[in-house]
Amino acid sequence: MSPKNQGTNDVNTYSDNKLMEDVKEGKVEKMAVLFEKHHVPLFNFFMRLTGNRNISEDLVQDVFMRMLKYRTTYQGRSKFTLWMYQIGRNAHIDYLRKKKDELPLDEQWSDPITQEASPEEKLEGGQDAQLLRQALAKLPLKKREVLILSRYQNLKYKEIAELMDCHIGTVKAHVHRAIKELGKIYFELQGGTVS
Amino acid sequence: MRCEDIKKSFPDYLVGELEKSAADAIQTHIADCAACRQELEDMSAVWTKLGVLPEEHPSNGLRERFYRNLEEYKAEMNREKPLHHLKQFFASLFYRFRSGRPAYQWVLGFIPLFIGLILGYIMFSKGQDTDLRREIQEMRQMLAVSLLDQRSPTERLRGVNLSYGLKNPDNRTIEALLDTLNNDPSVNVRLAAVDALYLFYNSPQVREGIIQSLTRQDSPILQVALVDLLVSVQERQALESFKKLMAANKLDPKVKQKLEQGIKELSY
Repeated sequence: MSPKNQGTNDVNTYSDNKLMEDVKEGKVEKMAVLFEKHHVPLFNFFMRLTGNRNISEDLVQDVFMRMLKYRTTYQGRSKFTLWMYQIGRNAHIDYLRKKKDELPLDEQWSDPITQEASPEEKLEGGQDAQLLRQALAKLPLKKREVLILSRYQNLKYKEIAELMDCHIGTVKAHVHRAIKELGKIYFELQGGTVS
Repeated sequence: MRCEDIKKSFPDYLVGELEKSAADAIQTHIADCAACRQELEDMSAVWTKLGVLPEEHPSNGLRERFYRNLEEYKAEMNREKPLHHLKQFFASLFYRFRSGRPAYQWVLGFIPLFIGLILGYIMFSKGQDTDLRREIQEMRQMLAVSLLDQRSPTERLRGVNLSYGLKNPDNRTIEALLDTLNNDPSVNVRLAAVDALYLFYNSPQVREGIIQSLTRQDSPILQVALVDLLVSVQERQALESFKKLMAANKLDPKVKQKLEQGIKELSY
């Protein structure tokens, strides 16, 4: 199929996959183009998972270095972004594992996320956003992941299922339960209504 | 339809990915079922509420660190595989000469240049002279510009690819890349030029050239690539070009959608 006949998303996917194929073949400088295109969404993915800027930046760095290290294993069959988020999830799990090893036992089960208000939120006193971050932090990891991937990273349920190696029905069930649970937590934190 | 079956469609309903018949089925059901109506309203409220989290931007340190690490990775690669690269290079050169095709005869003129590049490459990989490094950069630039002028699209593509590895290319190289972006008959070569120019976006000449190029492109794939680039670098100066392109006749709907998103994002 000619690239000209593809939709905008397909154009982006085509371009990303082509760039990564080039990186795989040794033109590693093209990773810079992929970095410029994807580091902000990836940073936001980690920000919403961890709530911490420094950790999120470290994880973004880690993901791009892992993509270079494992570039020869890249298979162009699925979208580049799926591969990137797959590596991102692994990097995050490794980070959690390492953190758990480093923490004394009594601190291992405390709130996993350090919540930070962004400068904009501090200025505007964005109480809603702050409450939402706290509520997200209290969601179990898997539910938080599916919700973030579908709501913010614009991945389709089918793609999330591929990413998590599960059935699409399982992803939808996770999203369903995650939203209900998040609403409940938010309601409790707010002490009011969810509107 | 039973409540359990209807509820299974709620996640699709939230992302707007239901077919009309399924969406109608939900509407019909919730008109009579207060419990499902309440659940869907609550879920929609949470889904909408999630939109209040603003997009965050990382510090400049992240970009600096990435480019530093990328350079280190490249240097490491070069240290590990110089002989492999040389072998590949000579094999490719040998093949081209053996083919005896007149189109490749121009390569003869570049033999001293190639030898210089190889020597420079070897010495550079041993961490030697900065003068040599500059000379190699100049030679790469010359070679890139020469290749961009070739008749064969494959050679022009090689010229663009060669420019990827340049640091702070000179005006002549940038002009050649911008000229390729605007006038090359091959869409693939023009797309490769967009990627190359992306890497040199800190140059005012590149910035201005790309903004001007947007309204000159007639291929939707190029238009989308340029809009993506300008939005990703948050180039507010491009807003006027975006609006001008929006007003153009026979604009591809996908490009129009991309432009609308871009205008919204840059105006924020």
